[in-house]
Amino acid sequence: MQIDRTISLLKQGKHITEDAVYALCLKSQELLMTEANVTHVDTPVTICGDIHGQLHDLLTLFDKSGGVEKTRYVFLGDFVDRGFYSLESFLLLICYKLKYPDRITLIRGNHETRQITKVYGFYDEIMRKYGNSNVWRYCCEVFDYLSLGAIINNNIFCVHGGLSPDVNTIEEIRAIDRKQEVPHEGAMCDLLWSDPDDVEKWSLSPRGAGFVFGQNEVNQFLHTNKVELIARAHQLVMEGYKEMFDGGLVTVWSAPNYCYRCGNVAAVLRIEDDLQRNYTIFDAVQPQDGVGNAIIPTKKSQMDYFL
Amino acid sequence: MSDESQLNVPEKRLLTEDDMKLWKASTTKQDLLSFIEMLAQSVKGHENEQIEKPVSQAITSTETILLTSVEKFIENHPVPDNTKSRFGKIEFRDFYDDVQSHSIELLKETYPSLTDFQTTQLSTYLIESWGNKRRIDYGSGHELNFLCFLYGLTQYGVFSLETDSVNLVLIIFIKYLNIMRILESKYWLEPAGSHGVWGLDDYHFLPFLFGAFQLATHKHLKPMSIHNDEVVDMFKDKYLYFGCISFINSIKTSASLRWHSPMLDDISGVKKWSKVAEGMIKMYNAEVLSKLPIMQHFYFSDFLKCPDGVTLPHDSKEGNIHDEELEEGLSHVHNTYGDCCGIKVPSAFAASEANKKTQRRIPFD
Ligand SMILES: [Mn+2]
Repeated sequence: MQIDRTISLLKQGKHITEDAVYALCLKSQELLMTEANVTHVDTPVTICGDIHGQLHDLLTLFDKSGGVEKTRYVFLGDFVDRGFYSLESFLLLICYKLKYPDRITLIRGNHETRQITKVYGFYDEIMRKYGNSNVWRYCCEVFDYLSLGAIINNNIFCVHGGLSPDVNTIEEIRAIDRKQEVPHEGAMCDLLWSDPDDVEKWSLSPRGAGFVFGQNEVNQFLHTNKVELIARAHQLVMEGYKEMFDGGLVTVWSAPNYCYRCGNVAAVLRIEDDLQRNYTIFDAVQPQDGVGNAIIPTKKSQMDYFL
Repeated sequence: MSDESQLNVPEKRLLTEDDMKLWKASTTKQDLLSFIEMLAQSVKGHENEQIEKPVSQAITSTETILLTSVEKFIENHPVPDNTKSRFGKIEFRDFYDDVQSHSIELLKETYPSLTDFQTTQLSTYLIESWGNKRRIDYGSGHELNFLCFLYGLTQYGVFSLETDSVNLVLIIFIKYLNIMRILESKYWLEPAGSHGVWGLDDYHFLPFLFGAFQLATHKHLKPMSIHNDEVVDMFKDKYLYFGCISFINSIKTSASLRWHSPMLDDISGVKKWSKVAEGMIKMYNAEVLSKLPIMQHFYFSDFLKCPDGVTLPHDSKEGNIHDEELEEGLSHVHNTYGDCCGIKVPSAFAASEANKKTQRRIPFD
């Protein structure tokens, strides 16, 4: 099967042709198109936070948590930007999604947009690896089809960023027309951008998008929607995960030693059938010189300055 | 709004690609870039220690009064040992408050010849030079503020390019960089707008630019030398570029340069430092001064005039919701907001309603 070959290439960080990326993106769009804005997921399931192109660490994640053959996964978004292998990480997840559609749920993060990937590295990565932006465009088309959230056993709400003052019920999220670039404001934007903090009420976010929300907003959301936990990612946590608001919200972060400098560990959260929470912590692996496509012979656009 | 009143306090103005076109074609940008280029040219062939003598009073005061005071503010705000889950250390905000509240008095003490108006203009850039208080981050945009600060002082006649330019880099900029290194590591500043491995550096640009000029005439050292640990160690205190490489290597210990910094790796393939130096100017022009995500936070002022035709401050979202308040660390929603826009609380809703049709800045991830 073609997809197995692609998976094996991706795991080695090897180059995937432009045509192959195009075909993969097209297929995954067709698949993602049929999914709801908020996907239903059954336990047991493993919830994963930001990846940011750290392919080696993503492989460790699968290794330490059972692997996609045996385990169900929810990824909370931010697959791309900053790391060396945004493309390979994203494509690997897409391949798994195509191969095991019920085994893996992909939620959109605030980095899965055209505007943000142009600023934070994914666009640069594609230009360096392919010499043109086609592959970046194909991937951005897929981003538009990613889910906005997931609900585990009707009890745990998963989202990349957090809550929105425009969203009281999960039902309201289902009504969003998600197939678009993430807008600069409104429910869809907030779900991908907001952060929890010790605040009394909805507050402006220093990020310039989304809101900051506190215990009151979380309690109200949990109560209204009859859920017991909001699982989100979006913020680096040194310990890999952090529960807040009497356990009503958890931040999961899955990119260890983020950007090679933060010194943090990563975590994934496994939800058992009885909804018990089990965290697995893992460390960064050291990428080796001389493997993968670290330096591949393509046009290096940013080098034009130095000719 | 008249031009006069816009100049009272420096303002952010660039919001759209159309604004950027006007900015890119402006004499303001050209003058700023020329200033940077002149500073860079002046340190060609200089080691860090090779300052220009005699050192002017203005340089000495900047070093011993202004920057030393900033350094002392850091000492006043230690970070307690308990580990915090979030990355940035919130004590940075107290340091920032100290700089902010003392900036006018410090500027008056350091530069007694300045008028009150000039001091006010300069203080915005001085305060912005150390990062963002609320987000606890720092990037090349903040670094640019420090350059603007030096540019303003030069425009106001405090510094003379003829006598001070070498020392502006080798004494003042290096001292600033050293302070930033302390802030970055002590308060765990997040890299603002960083491209991750795909950028030049998490925080800085100008030490690479000035550093490449320092090396441009060097007989033996080649760009490839950054891969030689012994060479890096030997020259890290002599040249800014090697200092940067050494700093990165000390932070990013888990992988080699080609993994965590592919761009620096690429640049090391350039044959001559003079080519690197030329390229750094082009790259700074294109990747910093011409990039909306950075320049949307750029302040215009008395000495950095906003080009005609750029979006007026009240057409912008942040113009309405008082950027300063947001960056002040407003966590409870402002009470004044309802008053100023005639919309009742919660102001979060008000903010999004009142600005539906206006421009917004690109958010911080
Ligand atoms: Mn995020």
